[in-house]
Amino acid sequence: MTDPSPSPRLQRRSIFKATGLITAGAAGLPAVAACSDIASQEGTAQVTEGFDFLPTYKEWPLPVEPDLVGEPPNHPSAFTSYPEPAPAVTELPSGSGTYELTVPIWGDTPSSDDPYYAAVADAWGGTKIDLRHADGNTYADTSVQWLKANEYGDAIQLFGWMLGSHSNFRETVVNNFYDLTEVLKGDIAERWPLLAGLPSASWGQSVWSRDPDDPDTAGIYGIPMNYSGGQGNGILARVDLMEAANLAMPTTVEELLEVCRAWSDDANGKWAFAGLDWFVGQWFGLGGTDGWNWDPEQQKMVNNVERPEFTEMLTFRRTLWDEQLLHPDAPTGTLDPGAMQEAGTVLFTQDNLVRWNDFNLKVKRGEAEGEVAPLPALAANGREPLVYMSAGVDGWTFLNKDLSREQVEEFLDVANWAAAPYGTTEYQLLQYGVEGEHFTIGADGSPVYTELGSSLIQAPINYKQLCGQVQTFLTGDPDMVAKRFEYNASIKDYAAENAFEGIRIEGPADFKAAGSTLWDQQQDIAYGRAELSSIPEMVETFMSNGGENARQYYTDAYLSAHGE
Amino acid sequence: MATLQTTAPTEADHAPDRPRVRRKRTVAQRLRHDWPLLLLALPVVAHLMVFHYWPSAWNIIAFLDYSPYRPFWENPFVGFAWFERLFNDPYFTPALLNTLKFSAANLLFMFPLSIVLALAMNSIVSIRLRSAFQSVVYLPHFFSWVLVVTVFVQVLGSDGLISNWLMGMGGERLNFTSNPDTFMLLVWMQWAWKDAGWGMIIFLAALASINPSLYEAAAVDGANRWRRMWHITLPSIRPVIILLLILQIGGILSVGFEQYQLQRSSIGYQSTEVLDTFVYYQSIVGNQGESFGTAAGLFKGVIGLILILVANNIAHRLGEQGIYQKS
Repeated sequence: MTDPSPSPRLQRRSIFKATGLITAGAAGLPAVAACSDIASQEGTAQVTEGFDFLPTYKEWPLPVEPDLVGEPPNHPSAFTSYPEPAPAVTELPSGSGTYELTVPIWGDTPSSDDPYYAAVADAWGGTKIDLRHADGNTYADTSVQWLKANEYGDAIQLFGWMLGSHSNFRETVVNNFYDLTEVLKGDIAERWPLLAGLPSASWGQSVWSRDPDDPDTAGIYGIPMNYSGGQGNGILARVDLMEAANLAMPTTVEELLEVCRAWSDDANGKWAFAGLDWFVGQWFGLGGTDGWNWDPEQQKMVNNVERPEFTEMLTFRRTLWDEQLLHPDAPTGTLDPGAMQEAGTVLFTQDNLVRWNDFNLKVKRGEAEGEVAPLPALAANGREPLVYMSAGVDGWTFLNKDLSREQVEEFLDVANWAAAPYGTTEYQLLQYGVEGEHFTIGADGSPVYTELGSSLIQAPINYKQLCGQVQTFLTGDPDMVAKRFEYNASIKDYAAENAFEGIRIEGPADFKAAGSTLWDQQQDIAYGRAELSSIPEMVETFMSNGGENARQYYTDAYLSAHGE
Repeated sequence: MATLQTTAPTEADHAPDRPRVRRKRTVAQRLRHDWPLLLLALPVVAHLMVFHYWPSAWNIIAFLDYSPYRPFWENPFVGFAWFERLFNDPYFTPALLNTLKFSAANLLFMFPLSIVLALAMNSIVSIRLRSAFQSVVYLPHFFSWVLVVTVFVQVLGSDGLISNWLMGMGGERLNFTSNPDTFMLLVWMQWAWKDAGWGMIIFLAALASINPSLYEAAAVDGANRWRRMWHITLPSIRPVIILLLILQIGGILSVGFEQYQLQRSSIGYQSTEVLDTFVYYQSIVGNQGESFGTAAGLFKGVIGLILILVANNIAHRLGEQGIYQKS
């Protein structure tokens, strides 16, 4: 029988040759690699204070004073009644341009031909801003690619927490966005009085540098959103269920654990939590910037993972899992804790505090039963509580660098209009829409969204974050405003210290990558897939794969910022 | 001198010492002759150029410290630095091993399952039963992985249908969809439900091309059902089996993304991390950038190419066509 293939048989020599080539190539990798370093993976630190090119601050007098006076930004003032709105912009600019603004949306995309958009455009002078809604759940990650491809229209809104998805965001900013410095520098109160009334810290936090080592290359690259503070997230408890079970509101982590044990009943489908992970660190005093805290004795940064409280925290989480105080499908991350709390199958939710308001308003409307309230500031082992608070701008509206100066000025006219605070007609139109269509005035004199207003204006971001307001307040249902005001007052003294106040710092890429894996490993321990005894090894791996380099980086940044 | 064959072949043309040759046509002649075929091929060639070869050329950024914000030529050359970082990453090797593990399982258990399904279906005589069976087994292919994973969690999850039934009977809560130890079985079940029926279709097409007279002749000679399958069916579909096997081997480092990513939080990264999820978490979530991801992709591509060439070569040596006919 003949060989069906005329090609030569496998030859040992060929295999040796191929293997030799591959081996030589592999051996050569480190040598070639050593020729060059990867500069783009280094972190950046940007000072956000002390600039002489910011808009000159000129106080914009509020048309109405708040009913409850707090200590902004962590404890904002509040309105418990709805004031008669007054116009804020007296000289309306005339705009004729059309722009496209990319904004995130959580939920359904509203119809773009609703009269709301035309009414708002007319009110701010005619400039047409078309919204390009993009899914908020994936917005942070996908925005990286839109920006690199310059496919985001004329402007884009990014929240501060989204920057973590961008590697080297400074490079993205200075290459993509319009440098507003020359337009906004100095006294702008005549044309844009509301923008001049924004806190200088807002503008300072909108500064990036072309060269981080050269202060002269710094410039304003974004229109800041609201300057706010306080605690955005919390643990919401079904207080009515606790009362029914004769359980008191816990004041320490130990008491919380006892409440969880007393209430949970796995066999009968009752659990204390449907998920608890990112919030829990503060109960164990694990604060800092990106996990780093300054140790004055050692004169260096210490990461949370190196502290014994880190092990305490993971032990607590593991206890919740082992004792079936956590829903068994919690690791999937696909549960809807809010719905489960509403149904009474879970007692606590790790939540945004906005839901506190939303839930209780649902109860008032008769759409749900029960009552929720946030847990107070907690701590374990008799320590002083610690509460994460972020005083700063919520985010920015960035303008495309391809716009002309005239177009930028027109956009700033709109931003000036949108900066009008609570108690103005501009704010009312922007936040509530047209009376009779999108809201009605309720019995207590406050605006109440209609069904259309709720889906079209209340839920989506639309233009509501186009620019921060000159001052922000607690507003809405008077009962809830009073409760939130009281809650903010009770926690403000526990605010976690920020060692990098006045600096925007972005860690090196290998540190971020190591952090991503560290989080996965924490989840493994918390859900019983790895043992608590593996923590030292996990910490060592984290430190050797980016943590130790980052320590030096954060230490240098801290010392340089504090003039040491 | 060689001439074009214009008349009926003579006996002399078959003489072994006078091989028949054709005059080589010029490019212009070939263009004039083949232009309709070339025109038909043009869209595919354009598609390949734009969506495959041009992007492939950008693999070069695996050797650069690439930033889209500077002119391409200003990106510094860093040699194999990204590959070095990739291979030195402590989570790369576990991800590679997981990938190989899932690929091997797919190759060993899923590939034969599709053949078995095809053979089983081919033996169903009733056309109605056959179409019903075909629909049932291949329709899940069109479900997204999100749906497949959700169905499994709803049925087999710790708070799912079976778990709650067991609890109601006084039993223990089922720990299957969040158990790293049984993840391979779970993955196999998901594959079997979603893709075994789809994989069967190509084998069915191959089975349909077998000449029925072979079976009739074998039956006359007294061959039973198993003998017919062993001596007629399997040899007839062998080229297709080999072709698909080679393609499967070429994609050994690509086991998919969604199935593992969706179950990562419930099972844990150690059991679910494959090369594609590793690249996503390190490159996109971990912010290591495009060059790092490209280096990982290039690594996968080169290994895949080597494997496919080796497998194809072996197929040729075993007398099979492989992925192309040897000239």
